[in-house]
Amino acid sequence: MTTTTNVRMRQGLGERAMGWVFLTPSFAFMAVIALFPVLYAIGISLYRIRGFRREPVGLDNYLRVLSDSGFYNAVGNTLVFTVTSVALEFAIGMAFALIMHQAFVGRGLTRAVILVPWVIPTAVAAQVWRYMFDRNPGFVNAVLGTDINWLRDPTWTMVAIISADVWKTAPFVALLLLAGLQTIPKDYYEAAKVDGAGAVQRFSHITLPLLRPAIVVALLFRTVDALRMFDFAYVFAGYSNSVATLSVYAQRFLVADPKPGYANALSTVTFVVVMLVGLAFISRMGRHMVGDVARKERR
Amino acid sequence: MTGRTRTAAPTRPGTARRRGTPPAAVNALKPLGLLLVLGWCLFPFLWMAMTSLRTGSVALTDPNILQGPFDLDNYRQIIGQGFHFALRNSLIVASVTTVVCVPVASLAGYALARLPLAGKFVILAVTLVATLFPPVALVNPLYQMYLELNQWTGINLLNTYTGMVIPYVALTLPLSIFILATFFSGIPKEIEESAKVDGATPFQAFLRVVAPLAAPGVGAAAILTFVYATNEFLLAFSFAPNDLNVQTVPVFVGTFERVGYENPIGQIMAASVLVSIPLIVFALLLQRRIVAGLTSGAVKG
Repeated sequence: MTTTTNVRMRQGLGERAMGWVFLTPSFAFMAVIALFPVLYAIGISLYRIRGFRREPVGLDNYLRVLSDSGFYNAVGNTLVFTVTSVALEFAIGMAFALIMHQAFVGRGLTRAVILVPWVIPTAVAAQVWRYMFDRNPGFVNAVLGTDINWLRDPTWTMVAIISADVWKTAPFVALLLLAGLQTIPKDYYEAAKVDGAGAVQRFSHITLPLLRPAIVVALLFRTVDALRMFDFAYVFAGYSNSVATLSVYAQRFLVADPKPGYANALSTVTFVVVMLVGLAFISRMGRHMVGDVARKERR
Repeated sequence: MTGRTRTAAPTRPGTARRRGTPPAAVNALKPLGLLLVLGWCLFPFLWMAMTSLRTGSVALTDPNILQGPFDLDNYRQIIGQGFHFALRNSLIVASVTTVVCVPVASLAGYALARLPLAGKFVILAVTLVATLFPPVALVNPLYQMYLELNQWTGINLLNTYTGMVIPYVALTLPLSIFILATFFSGIPKEIEESAKVDGATPFQAFLRVVAPLAAPGVGAAAILTFVYATNEFLLAFSFAPNDLNVQTVPVFVGTFERVGYENPIGQIMAASVLVSIPLIVFALLLQRRIVAGLTSGAVKG
């Protein structure tokens, strides 16, 4: 058809242009539907809005956030929820991953069933767990032999929410860690065994270091998900302060007690907090994850 | 330490010592461990299913799930309240989200994995950061944008499927792009080159050669997108709160109101069973694809 040089030149140009054509729909859409609204929210957060009256107040809404005890309550709830649930999910997920990694009979079945909590919508899981903890037909008090009003006392409601979240996502963590475990060569363990390393030593000196990428990814997704959590807190306690997370608290000033300017200041703060924590994780592993795709391309 | 053990091992054969419990006991414990995992995952479903079948005053006071009477009354009531519409709405919203998101994400994933682009590393990093987006930051500004749109063009997106699909696509694109870029970059480049040598244009090479080979990745991205859209509560609750024509399952179940003084526990459990069954079948059938999607990128190195 044409000479080789011609073809190569045309394809080089074609590929570069095609690259931008392929990227444009995704990134244009995300810019309009995700990036622009965030900027718009920042704009709204600079106003005080009452009915149809809006007056610009500068950073007043943000200053009010900083002196709002409800905000600090939400920050506290979010932190307690995040730290406790992620720690438990990690410990239990690791235990499950090790159990599944060791076993042979029934591993396939378990690996399928472990997806079941993950696939159930959070709001549905939240209702089921709320009724499990409910005093009357719920069974948690009967099993524990206690008489706790789980849904009235904020501390116990938090315990109930964390239990529900750990139930739903510990299996997900286990799955990520199991995939990581399966990439560790068996020889390393054999060699360590020959060398006289005990099970604990093998775990801390072989498993943990080699599992690091999987652990960091699991912690990233879980931590960010916990920080922006809405469903469990809302289904268990509505907009009441008892277990309100940052997302619930921001949403409350849109719906239950409408103050759009203030609500947008709160949601912007939530956005910044979630993104900063996420960036802290990604800066530790992003190069590794992203570099993997980029490296393969260069080869 | 790891290094030392590895190099030392071959020089000291035969000094292996057994520690801890004898292997027979360990082997007996393994199935028990799996049973523990299975029990953990499934016990709420047992309680949910039994509770959904119980009726009468005993069901509202006695935690013993084996205490009858049992019948299908709760199911009849929940269908009477239109739960099948919520199931239909969730199916439509999740399917449309998937059908829109995955092809668009495939293009971007391919471009990032394969095509010569300036600043590729930055774009991939931005994509990864975008997966962390908290939906609460979208609720109000998007709501306002929908109102403005309605005012200027007369197009109404509140209480519509489209109004939910738009933010779902925006929020699922980043992870889909990332998964697909990982899969595309795993396909040997030589296959594509040879297609081009045979006279295919870059676009033909993508469509005929690379896209079919990336089918597992496309499947994984599609499944994760679908699950995200069936799970999403906050945006659906904000944009389509109580119109049964568009209300999705999480909103129906999550905001179920008691009618009068009766505790709706049986009806809520019946609804939960009805939505769980198809999703569990879905998870079990597509298990391999889901695991591949969830773990792509997670276990490199």
